Amino acid sequence: MKRMKFRYAMVCSSNQNRSMEAHSILKRQGFDVSSYGTGSHVKLPGPSLREPNVYDFGTPYKHMLEDLRRKDPELYKRNGILPMLKRNCTVKLAPQRWQENAADGSFDVVFTFEEKVFDMVIEDLNNRDHVLMKTVLIINLEVKDNHEEAAIGARLALDLCQEIEATDSWEDTIDDIVAAFEKQHRRKLLYSISFY
Amino acid sequence: MAGASRDQALSLLAAANNHGDLAVKLSSLKQAKDILLSVEPSSASELFPYLVELQSSPESLVRKSLVEVVEEIGLKTIEHSTVLLPLLLTFLKDDDSTVARQSIVSGTNIFCSVLEEMALQFHHHGKLERWLEELWSWMTKFKDAVLSIALEPGSVGTKMLALKFLETYVLLFTSDINDSERPVAEGSRRVFNISWLVGGHPVLDPYMLTSEANKTLGILLNLLRVATSLPGALTITVINCLASIGRKRPVHYINILSALLDFDPNFETMKGCHAASISYSVRTAFLGFLRCTNPAFVESRDRLLRVLRAMNAGDAADQVIRQVDKMIKNTERALRDARDKDDQLSSQLLVSGDLFKKRSIPLDNDVSANGHDLASKRIRYGSEMYMTSPVQLNDFRRDEGSVNGLPTDFPLLDGELTPVEKMIAMIGALLAEGERGAESLEILISKIQPDLLADIVITNMKHLPKSPPPLARVGNLPVSRKISSLNGQAQVMVGAPTNSLQSPTLPSQGPFSPSTIMSSVVPDTPSVNNPLDSKRDPRRDPRRLDPRRVAAPVGLSSTPTVEDTNTTLSEFDGPISLGKPNLIPVTVTVDNPSAPLISKMKNDESLESPLVSGTGQLTPDEEVQEGPEETAPTIQFNDSTDPTNSPIHTVDEDTVAINLSDDPVKEEADASSFLEFDHHSPVHSNTSASEDTCQDLPQLPTYVELTQEQQECVRKLAIERIIESYKHLFGTDCSQMRLALLARLVAQIDANDDVVMMLQKHIVMDYHEQKGHELVLHVLYHLHSLTISDSVQNTYPAVVYEKFLLAVAKLLLDSFPASDKSFSKLLGEVPILPDSILKLLDDLCYSDVTDKHGKDVRDVERVTQGLGAVWSLILGRPQYRQACLDIALKCAVHSQDEIRAKAIRLVANKLFQLSYISDNIEQFATHMLQSVDSHASDVELLQCGSTEERSEGMVGSQETSVSGSQISESGNSENNFPTQAHPSAQRTTTMSLPEVQRAISLYFALCTKKPNLLQHLFNIYGQAAKTVKQAFHRHIPILIRALGSSCSELLQIISDPPQGSESLLALVLQILTQETTPSSDLIATVKHLYETKLKDVSILIPMLSSLSKNEVLPIFPRLVALSIEKFQMALAHILQGSAHTGPALTPVEVLVAIHGIIPERDGLPLKKITDTCSACFEQRTVFTQQVLAKALSQMVDQTPLPLLFMRTVIQAIDAFPSLVDFVMEILSKLVRKQVWKLPKLWVGFLKCVSQTQPHSFHVLLLLPPPQLENALSKHPNLRSPLAAFAGQPSVKTSLPRSTLSVLGLTNEMHTQQSHLSSFNPSDTVRERCLEDDTSKGNMVADHMGY
Repeated sequence: MKRMKFRYAMVCSSNQNRSMEAHSILKRQGFDVSSYGTGSHVKLPGPSLREPNVYDFGTPYKHMLEDLRRKDPELYKRNGILPMLKRNCTVKLAPQRWQENAADGSFDVVFTFEEKVFDMVIEDLNNRDHVLMKTVLIINLEVKDNHEEAAIGARLALDLCQEIEATDSWEDTIDDIVAAFEKQHRRKLLYSISFY
Repeated sequence: MAGASRDQALSLLAAANNHGDLAVKLSSLKQAKDILLSVEPSSASELFPYLVELQSSPESLVRKSLVEVVEEIGLKTIEHSTVLLPLLLTFLKDDDSTVARQSIVSGTNIFCSVLEEMALQFHHHGKLERWLEELWSWMTKFKDAVLSIALEPGSVGTKMLALKFLETYVLLFTSDINDSERPVAEGSRRVFNISWLVGGHPVLDPYMLTSEANKTLGILLNLLRVATSLPGALTITVINCLASIGRKRPVHYINILSALLDFDPNFETMKGCHAASISYSVRTAFLGFLRCTNPAFVESRDRLLRVLRAMNAGDAADQVIRQVDKMIKNTERALRDARDKDDQLSSQLLVSGDLFKKRSIPLDNDVSANGHDLASKRIRYGSEMYMTSPVQLNDFRRDEGSVNGLPTDFPLLDGELTPVEKMIAMIGALLAEGERGAESLEILISKIQPDLLADIVITNMKHLPKSPPPLARVGNLPVSRKISSLNGQAQVMVGAPTNSLQSPTLPSQGPFSPSTIMSSVVPDTPSVNNPLDSKRDPRRDPRRLDPRRVAAPVGLSSTPTVEDTNTTLSEFDGPISLGKPNLIPVTVTVDNPSAPLISKMKNDESLESPLVSGTGQLTPDEEVQEGPEETAPTIQFNDSTDPTNSPIHTVDEDTVAINLSDDPVKEEADASSFLEFDHHSPVHSNTSASEDTCQDLPQLPTYVELTQEQQECVRKLAIERIIESYKHLFGTDCSQMRLALLARLVAQIDANDDVVMMLQKHIVMDYHEQKGHELVLHVLYHLHSLTISDSVQNTYPAVVYEKFLLAVAKLLLDSFPASDKSFSKLLGEVPILPDSILKLLDDLCYSDVTDKHGKDVRDVERVTQGLGAVWSLILGRPQYRQACLDIALKCAVHSQDEIRAKAIRLVANKLFQLSYISDNIEQFATHMLQSVDSHASDVELLQCGSTEERSEGMVGSQETSVSGSQISESGNSENNFPTQAHPSAQRTTTMSLPEVQRAISLYFALCTKKPNLLQHLFNIYGQAAKTVKQAFHRHIPILIRALGSSCSELLQIISDPPQGSESLLALVLQILTQETTPSSDLIATVKHLYETKLKDVSILIPMLSSLSKNEVLPIFPRLVALSIEKFQMALAHILQGSAHTGPALTPVEVLVAIHGIIPERDGLPLKKITDTCSACFEQRTVFTQQVLAKALSQMVDQTPLPLLFMRTVIQAIDAFPSLVDFVMEILSKLVRKQVWKLPKLWVGFLKCVSQTQPHSFHVLLLLPPPQLENALSKHPNLRSPLAAFAGQPSVKTSLPRSTLSVLGLTNEMHTQQSHLSSFNPSDTVRERCLEDDTSKGNMVADHMGY
């Protein structure tokens, strides 16, 4: 298989739905990809809006799966949480927090799926010491946090990653790539550049 | 050695240069590098020229690696790396952008370390070595080269890095005091900053460098202006670099801000750029600025907000503002506390500091995230501003390091500390770290588990000094209205987490406590040293002009703690001024501006009172001269006179202890403050002072002794207060803390019912929002932890625990409907379940509950609820599994049907599936099943006992099986049991049917889940009592239907049923075939059983419909032999048939088959057959006229004629008179068949003829004269009517003379006879007559004669 040039990170807020969907798809396509969440906790919908299920980052997906299965298998099956967690189990062990990922090394491209997350990633990167002087491209693709949109968003992210992977250096072409993508998919993107 | 490695390195380098394989080249280069790094720098440097040769390598990868090697070696042997540096410059212009990029990166790193080396060398040695100067000149060239990359067209990626270098360059050469704090806290590398440089550096002229930096910044700003011609990625990088500089170097902020504000991404002219991203990066930059708390940024806040709002980023901006404000507050507080404790606890620093770091890692997350830490760093800006001399700053840092690095002689953490104490020590250690610990402390505090924090608070309550801290007391005014003596405790409990910080110091401080409490309770006091936050312009801060402030740093060379000193001084003033208001005017210094804080803390009110005492005398002249700017603080002083009075009253009202304590405190304070002033020893003045003084002081009592009632009262009040405040709070922020506190308070309170009740109300009220539940769990877990920790000495917590849990559980049951899950949830989550709770559960499920009027109020829904709880406990709490299982099982044999049914459903459907208890359940059910036999033991004895008896029994049952199986009611089968053989088994059980059912239902339910239990049922059935059998019969249909006919265990039993179970088996088969076609397996099994073991055909009845004609006919006589009921059943099956084969026999065939039975051959009494026939006739709808006719016409042709043929004919004509014509034909046929030769039929024939007169006259007249004579003689009543009939002219002429003569009509009819005879009885009759060789030959002759 062709070796991938870049390391990718998919980031949403809880590292459950959007980032994991993208992670899963990209992983299948052979990309060197990781995924993270920027929230302070991992939150999953609960019986009502006011009672979300809250876990710490690092709690294995399997654990959540069992927990929710125990709590209300019907509900969580119906709203797609159990299937999602099952999928996540096959991708990696547990949700990871972006702000604590320094040990994971540097990424070339970071995808975020929400403006708030985009902001947080940029801010976090700005706060790190830029010792390596290695550029990192951060792209925000706005994706609603539901299963359907996540699937669509992940597809789009894959498209975009493939575009980026195809270039020699994204620095020279990112404007074109982004413009072409926006035109083709009628979706707005934002990108920024930071350093490691 | 050196030579060897040199040679090796040389050959490797040669390989790297010349080898054909790229991989070999790269690895050779790497190995060469390793060697170069391992040898002496001087000898390594000899090889550098060879290394340089590699620069012309055609492979870009080799060149890129070479750059990396150069960087690594250069950094290690910086002294010798001059030769290598030109490489970097060359590679900057490399065609391959990756090489160029790498050389920018490597160059930047070398650049920084050269700078650092230069600064340090000069600092240490006062001069620079030549090689370093040379290096620097290369670095300058490098910088120029990179700059040109940034400005000239080329690869965007390379240009980005060039821009990044420019940013770094500007940062390096822009003075940043602020930044000097960073390294230690973050563990990042220490980066050179121009502020390290002192004047007189031979090469590095700060002024020149700064202007270089400004120039570079100008270049960046300029790039922004021409952004329209740049690629978007570059523009964004420029913006980000500028923003970064702006954030990190406030000096440039204004410039950069205005450039960014002016920056108008003219989107139309920006070709090929992604405009949205560019403007977003501007937005991000602004938000970043907003996060900065430096005054310069604060000033532009409004402007930023306006711009951001215009960019539609108002929300984000507001959020940032909120974050920042919160952080500022937190940091301030922590900082203050840290400073207060700095001196006192510095000794603990090393030990506990490390401990903390370890602990804090997992705790630390939210706050440090999202760049909050950045902001909290910035916040210290203000306090550092006053230290203007860079040298001092530098020293400060070093000093601090060395102090921290010293091992101390105060190992405060002995191994026996509880977690709470450890935590307290940890906090203490952090406080001791001062500035650096503040940030971590804040994080720690915010992250401490509420439980632990509550413990800290509560633990602290114990240590409340006899004299409550004056300020706290004062601050407590609202509470004091209630019970003045309680102030101390109440205050601490209600207080914010900050207050808990005092705890660390207290235990270890001993006599110091009044003052330390003071300092911790008044954390806000030193806050005024802080940048006055965003809310106040620091330049308006009067303190700036305070002469002491200025004097301290100037006058002392080691000033780092000057501020702290001031702070501690002021702290001591608190108690002093309170106790003796006129004392020490000088020391109350900085505190005036604490006014702004008042709004923040409830307690702050208190702050003023001690201050006030001083302010009058104190207000320095300088401040007064400040003029109008001073007004605000001054007003404050005036205002605060009022509160001053009231606290004093409070003091008076308080216990005498306060007075007692006053004097020592005063003395101590005096001593220390004087010491401070005299020696100004910055670091340890406090400690030493206090040590000195306290040696002479009597030990102070540290407790206020409260009476039992008072204590209780206090606790109740505390609980009340917490609950009250809790009610209005819907956020979850503080609730954790509250819960933890409540838990501890409840634990301390005597298990007093009204307190528990009070809590209960609260619990129920909130239960559905989970808050009540949480509270309960908190309380219970806390109580439980107490129980565990001192179970031996003290059973009290256990008692409270039980009582509380029981009360809550009952409360939940009473308050919520049965469908509510709270009860179950509670039991599932509490730490332990005492017996009383299990009892409650048991009552709920099982015991009869009667209300006050003795009425049964059992609510079945409650049982469901209880069983639900039992279920979840069994699942979730192995410890109570057995107890809960017992409850469930008890309910499963409950006498009330409804409850039993519920419990059985639970046990069989849910619990029985659980492998870990299924055996228990099975055992129990089996036991119950056996218990229905009052002689269970006999049964066992019987089963394993003497084989003789058993074989006898078998014989008996086999003999009776036929008749026994006819009896559907099982009760009868009991009679079949060989009673003589087992007198004991023939018993009159005392159990009623319902009782039996109660006991066996569970077993039957289990059978559906585990069919091999069935065997046992069948085994005991035979010996079971009548009621038991009845109960079996009631239960078995459901069971069998559930199992279905393909259940292999069932088939197994059917193929080999135990003795005595035949009727049960029959029932089973009946059920199995009732509504469905039996499976082929079942049919085969049953047939096999019938053929081999059990000869009872009734067993086949249910199968009949599926059998074919050929299968049914052979067994048909056996079926007829059955009781009439069973036969009818069988008949129904036979006639019904299966859907695809049709009926096994048609009704006609059935009739024929019945008539085909020969009693002698088939061993059946004739009576049985006639009964069977009659039974058929009764079914008129099945055996219709047509059926009869058809059957009869078939049978009449049979030879020999069926025995019962005539009987059937007679019955047919009886049943259907309209068949008369048909019957006459039959009879005619019979005449032709010489029915008179068959005596039994002949009788019937005559009877029939007699009954059917006058229709039968024709037939009669067909009889030969002797038979006619015979007939008439047997039925004389026929004679005259027949004669009359025959006498009719039309008839008479057709009759033979012999016949007429029999009738006495011969004379008249004589002449016609011969000619009529030709029409008369057929040839066949005549032939038959001829064949006949009986004694009737003469009659034949007579006929023949005609």
